[in-house]
Amino acid sequence: MTVRKIAGLVLCGILMGSGPAKASESASIFSSQTGPGENLAQLIARGAYVARTADCAACHVGADGAPYAGGYEIASPLGTIIATNISPSRTFGIGGWSEEVFARALRMGVTPHGNLYPAMPYPSYAGMSDEDVHALYIYLTHAVKPVERGPTVGTRLSFPFNLRTLMTGWNAVFSRQKPMAHAATAPGGIERGRYLVEVVGHCSSCHTPRNFAMAEDRSQFLGGAAVGGWFAPNITSDPISGIGGWSEDELVTYLRTGAVAGKSQAAGGMAEAIEHGLRHLADDDLRAIARYLKSVPPIREAGQREPAYGVAFAQPSNFEALNLGHDRSPAAMRDGASTQGEQIYVAACAACHQLHGEGTSDQFYPSLYANTATGGTSPRNLVMAIVKGVHRETNDGTVVMPAFGAELNDAQIAAVSNYVLSRFGNPHLSVSAAEVAGYRIGREEPLVVKLFGPAGVVAALGGLAAGLAGMSLARRRRGDGSDGAVAKMRIED
Amino acid sequence: MMPIQYDADVIVVGSGAVGSNLAYELAKQGKSVLILEAGVWVPRWKIVENFRTSPRKVNRNDPYPNAPWAPNSYTPGYIENTGEFDFRPGMLRLVGGTTWHWGGATWRFLPNDMKLRTLYGVGRDWPLSYDELEPYYTRAEYNLGVSGSDTQDQSGQRRGAAYPPRSAPYPVHNEEETYYFQRLKERIGAEGYEFLHEPHVRTNRPYDGRPACCGNNNCMPVCPIGAMYSGEVHAKHAQAQGARVIPDATVFRIEKGDGGKIAAVHYRTSLGNDARLTARYFVMACNGLETPKLLLMSDVANSSDQVGRNLMDHTGIGLQFLADEPLWTGRGPIQQGGVFNWRDGAFRSEHAAIKHAINNAVPNQEVTRILLERGVVGKKLDEQIRHMSARWVEFSTTFEMLPHAHNRVQPSTIRTDALGIPTLKVHYETDDYIARGAARAREDFARFVAIMGGTVIEDHTGWQNRDHLMGTVLMGDDPRDSVVNHECRSWDHSNLFMATTGVIPASGVVNPTLAAIALAIRSADIIAKEI
Repeated sequence: MTVRKIAGLVLCGILMGSGPAKASESASIFSSQTGPGENLAQLIARGAYVARTADCAACHVGADGAPYAGGYEIASPLGTIIATNISPSRTFGIGGWSEEVFARALRMGVTPHGNLYPAMPYPSYAGMSDEDVHALYIYLTHAVKPVERGPTVGTRLSFPFNLRTLMTGWNAVFSRQKPMAHAATAPGGIERGRYLVEVVGHCSSCHTPRNFAMAEDRSQFLGGAAVGGWFAPNITSDPISGIGGWSEDELVTYLRTGAVAGKSQAAGGMAEAIEHGLRHLADDDLRAIARYLKSVPPIREAGQREPAYGVAFAQPSNFEALNLGHDRSPAAMRDGASTQGEQIYVAACAACHQLHGEGTSDQFYPSLYANTATGGTSPRNLVMAIVKGVHRETNDGTVVMPAFGAELNDAQIAAVSNYVLSRFGNPHLSVSAAEVAGYRIGREEPLVVKLFGPAGVVAALGGLAAGLAGMSLARRRRGDGSDGAVAKMRIED
Repeated sequence: MMPIQYDADVIVVGSGAVGSNLAYELAKQGKSVLILEAGVWVPRWKIVENFRTSPRKVNRNDPYPNAPWAPNSYTPGYIENTGEFDFRPGMLRLVGGTTWHWGGATWRFLPNDMKLRTLYGVGRDWPLSYDELEPYYTRAEYNLGVSGSDTQDQSGQRRGAAYPPRSAPYPVHNEEETYYFQRLKERIGAEGYEFLHEPHVRTNRPYDGRPACCGNNNCMPVCPIGAMYSGEVHAKHAQAQGARVIPDATVFRIEKGDGGKIAAVHYRTSLGNDARLTARYFVMACNGLETPKLLLMSDVANSSDQVGRNLMDHTGIGLQFLADEPLWTGRGPIQQGGVFNWRDGAFRSEHAAIKHAINNAVPNQEVTRILLERGVVGKKLDEQIRHMSARWVEFSTTFEMLPHAHNRVQPSTIRTDALGIPTLKVHYETDDYIARGAARAREDFARFVAIMGGTVIEDHTGWQNRDHLMGTVLMGDDPRDSVVNHECRSWDHSNLFMATTGVIPASGVVNPTLAAIALAIRSADIIAKEI
């Protein structure tokens, strides 16, 4: 088999670093695939917008940053999935595909070379309108520069999940959405928000928990889920557990900038979604998303009594009890092994977030209370922000919190997290060093493996099983491999 | 014959900004690299805590652990001075080196700085041209994330265009001017003084994992958020590229082998254990005092008898006064630029080039000390602290020192540290060249004060340390009167390089760290090609 089978794995465009798609000046280069009366430039612009909305850019970037080159590493519970080259290269990308073949891959996860894994959110894209599929196809094939190389390594899943044919059965059960009508999905239409959230934006692929077979659990739609160490929160309309307490304006601001003072700051995968996609969307579309989210049936987490941003003030602290600095011996002054949470907080965090967690007056450095990362029902986003830092390109510059994952060990990160939770956040939460270690790796063992073990998966679940693969969308960058690895991948494939 | 086995391709002695950048460049090219560091690796948060709990805030070495087996330069008795001047730079020993606390100034030398002898008949020339070094300056600036102006003539000679020439823009734009700098520039600049932005490593946008500077104004003794570059950045990057950093490893001997090559280095741990490590190449990157000391202790690289000699600092003087208007000194970065009329010109055949750097450190503590000395107490003290701190102006002026053989560093013959390794003996005398420069600078001082309607606090400071250690392993064209060639390679040992500001043979008047890093990157490329 060829690398092009891999190339079919994931489909959508990458815009990273490329700026707005360049529309062709000449309307005369209509291909046979553009219909009569279609303006190619407009079609390309629209396809570029669909690609942004679908956040194709985040996964399909090359290891060297080349748009659409493929190579981005997606950590799944069952192994590593490599996003593929979807540039119009005829050898390595989708250049040889007809629109029909493209649409089938995009919506059904079926390529000429075999099934895709649902790390590619084709169960969501199944609802994409014919017009948007067409525009996306034209954009990818006409406005994107072909990249004449494939990712240097291929998807690595363990048996039996490496059997792509198993996806056929999974698809029959879990991927049954039908394309939405163009009229209902056009800007300004009442269904536009649903379309952006459920279909193109595929929000549910992170924010909806998975069932035993790692398919989205529709009964928990947008109810929040762990994603590679982070937690994609409940974004249903529930006023306590979801975003019901956010105003429409706040939601629009958040989707545009990744930050709303007193509520939340985007990091991890959400920062990427904003960076590559959401910040570029039209105001109307962001507003449609906000309106739709506020209409999603509420899901209340059992026992939660106040929203994650609802902690109004910091608990007092007696810093004198720390009793620091009396020992000026070199041994004491170089000892960075403390697991005293308050001591680490004061020295490592308070320079920006301030001694009482209030942040700066302009909230450039945000408060740690009134903050969804500390006041919710999971410590994951707090821990992961400390481990990985925050990096978010916005339309107004770059937002950064430095990563402390190299400077602090798991026990220290647990200690400082627990201090922050107890003083500024949900005091009933805590995290252990072992849990921090697990979040760092970002890989959760799926239920199906826990229940049956790898060997029993085939017998127990048959064709459903492979659907497990690729559902965790934690993305990791990888370095360049060698050309030899390409050859190897072809053989394996 | 059995192939020779080495412990590493390259051993770098010293993990400061210069050595770590060189190690990183080699590791990135796939070479096996060991970095030996006398001190320990301390996380930033611990240093911040040590600073906050320090009772000696003005001592910028104080937050750093000072072990008897890796004593820093402020340790009483560590530097034994035999000259008229108390030569005492604030050098640190830990992973990342002294750039843990520095002003972060990263100027380029001017083409003319490097041809001092040819153009002005004094001092020495560099053995390479500005054009040869330029590409490496650019790489150094991008490693460090230097913020600078792409439009100013940094020679201060008002060419009306960016100067010196550069092949790429600064990686980070220069930041806005503080109100303090603006007002001094408006008033003093109107009288013909040329104010320039100082290129520096306090990034004002996120860069290489570092956050933007937010004006903690605490570059010395420690940046609490890691916005300012320190050598630790590239110690970590080198490690990520496969280099190994070995702390608590004080090198005390360089061992000569066959064919004029260096065979090994010997280091000692805090427990007194010794080890011997071999490599194809060796790089001494342990600053402008410890590097020549180690060479002299090992009787290495000194056929010219120049090792340890020609010691230069940008020995300076200072000015403190109160302006007639509030300037809100201390907001933003600790230094932002200064007055550069005397950076270059025909006068350099007569007197030293002059840099009038403007200090913008928060002055409250200094003001309070002065007021307490004057017996001011109570409510009046609070009022006066506020009044004076708002109007405080401080110039830190530096001069271009010339190399003199009698200004030198040697291993002490009377003291050793806890490991039994000799401490430092320094002999340093100022000369007429900077004395004439200082006379010119004091004329400027008088005008600065007059223009600002100022009240002088101190304008006769005497000579001051500037901690820019140059000349002690200087480079040149002639093996008879220099220690290394233009590659920073020892004339005597083909596999021994120096990566330190100590190689600089003509000091100009700007902070030398960036030049040393650029030279070290160049050396790394040369070494990589030969391995």
